[in-house]
Amino acid sequence: MNFVVIGGDAAGMSAASRAKRNRPDLNVIVFEQTRDVSYSA
Amino acid sequence: MVRRAEAFRAKQGIDLRTGHRVEVIDRKRRVVQGATREGQGFTQPYDRLLIATGAAAVNPALPGADLPGVHRLKTLEDGRRIKALLSGGGVRRVIVLGMGYVAMEMVESLRALDIEVDMLKPGPAFMPWLAPELASVVHAELGANGIGVHTGLRPQRIEAAGGGLAVVCPDATLSGQMVLAAVGVAPRSGLAQEAGLALSVANSIAVDPTLRTSDPDIFGAGDCADAYHVVTGRKTWIPLALRANRTGWAVADNVCGETVALHGVAGTAVFRVFGLEVARTGLNIAEAGEAGFEPVEATITSSTKAHSFPGASALWVSAVGDRKKGRLLGMQIVGREGAAHRINGAAVALHAGLTVAQFFQADLAYAPPFGPAWDPMLTCAGQLLKKM
Ligand SMILES: Cc1cc2nc3c(=O)[nH]c(=O)nc-3n(C[C@H](O)[C@H](O)[C@H](O)COP(=O)(O)OP(=O)(O)OC[C@H]3O[C@@H](n4cnc5c(N)ncnc54)[C@H](O)[C@@H]3O)c2cc1C
Repeated sequence: MNFVVIGGDAAGMSAASRAKRNRPDLNVIVFEQTRDVSYSA
Repeated sequence: MVRRAEAFRAKQGIDLRTGHRVEVIDRKRRVVQGATREGQGFTQPYDRLLIATGAAAVNPALPGADLPGVHRLKTLEDGRRIKALLSGGGVRRVIVLGMGYVAMEMVESLRALDIEVDMLKPGPAFMPWLAPELASVVHAELGANGIGVHTGLRPQRIEAAGGGLAVVCPDATLSGQMVLAAVGVAPRSGLAQEAGLALSVANSIAVDPTLRTSDPDIFGAGDCADAYHVVTGRKTWIPLALRANRTGWAVADNVCGETVALHGVAGTAVFRVFGLEVARTGLNIAEAGEAGFEPVEATITSSTKAHSFPGASALWVSAVGDRKKGRLLGMQIVGREGAAHRINGAAVALHAGLTVAQFFQADLAYAPPFGPAWDPMLTCAGQLLKKM
């Protein structure tokens, strides 16, 4: 299953990290328009 | 904190593609499409999609807002650019448009660099969302730190003048070498809107307590999405970091087959203005009136430490209750210390739906270094009870 996330900051990276932790078999793809990932979670 | 994309890919197995901007959500084909910074197109199929596009700083709608020297502070890139310009030494005076919390944090950093600062806003009231007595304490703190605070000044245009910039208003012109605009943020909901998803308060993306948009396979989280307010039960848009993190987690759980429903937000927030902590939770008196309550307000001045304990300073507390049902609706605290964390007690009371009378019964901590025996929030609740 593809879980696609638009936006790689607080909300997007929280979701991506936790989804992957919950279900390692999940395909998690994050699109971030900048070159930064400012993840404060 | 900034982490490299490669770290996410390798350690967590997340396929993180930076420099990739999504431009279209095609719900019929269940794909997103976009382009890289290098101009290369991409298409990605999804089974579940999360829109977590955040909020964007609003551009001041002014002629000259696009002049060099006019900046907004929203992204890390903005911050780096502004910092580099300030460390060049050519900037001696900055004009800040806006008086929200981001503007307050900016002026403190500027004064630390010994730069002169003027702040202006079109509305007549300084921080109209704060109880008047608390707002005047914050206003005085800015003045004491050498900030020019100009309310009721509506900028008409920004001009290049004498090697610097001038912000022209009907009755005054302010000049400096840089203009920083902090006139608010708006949800980045364009992708959702074009995909036909329902929008809500302030054009944020409408989501249910499980964070689903009007398309059950598409979720919305963080600053781009709305929330239920725990006091009013209505939709609201209050873009803050804890909610962004929490909604991200809830989306992950729901995508993985659990059912996590979030209660909502109380609008709890805190920021620092030089030596002051400014904290709020819930509704102020105007918001309470708009939400259909019959609001009553009490404001008190207490102390950050027990009387006669060395180093005590004033702590201002304002609380709002509903005369009809007795419920506590909101609280605000300002002081040199003890405001930021104290407010969380009131926030929990709002989640629990306590009445002012019930809150007044709460057994709160006391020792001389931390406050009077009657916590200032209790003193305020006691005064509020008498008015209700
Ligand atoms: C100066 C400043 C100070 C702040 N201080 C506080 C504070 O003290 N306390 C607090 O609670 N909150 C604070 N906030 C707010 C807090 O930063 C936000 O609530 C939080 O970052 C929201 O996270 P988010 O992931 O929803 O959105 P964002 O952080 O805005 O991230 C959204 C991401 O999506 C990306 N994106 C957008 N569109 C696309 C697209 N089409 N394709 C690909 N990527 C896209 C963006 O580049 C961005 O990286 C502050 C904000 C600012 C600007």
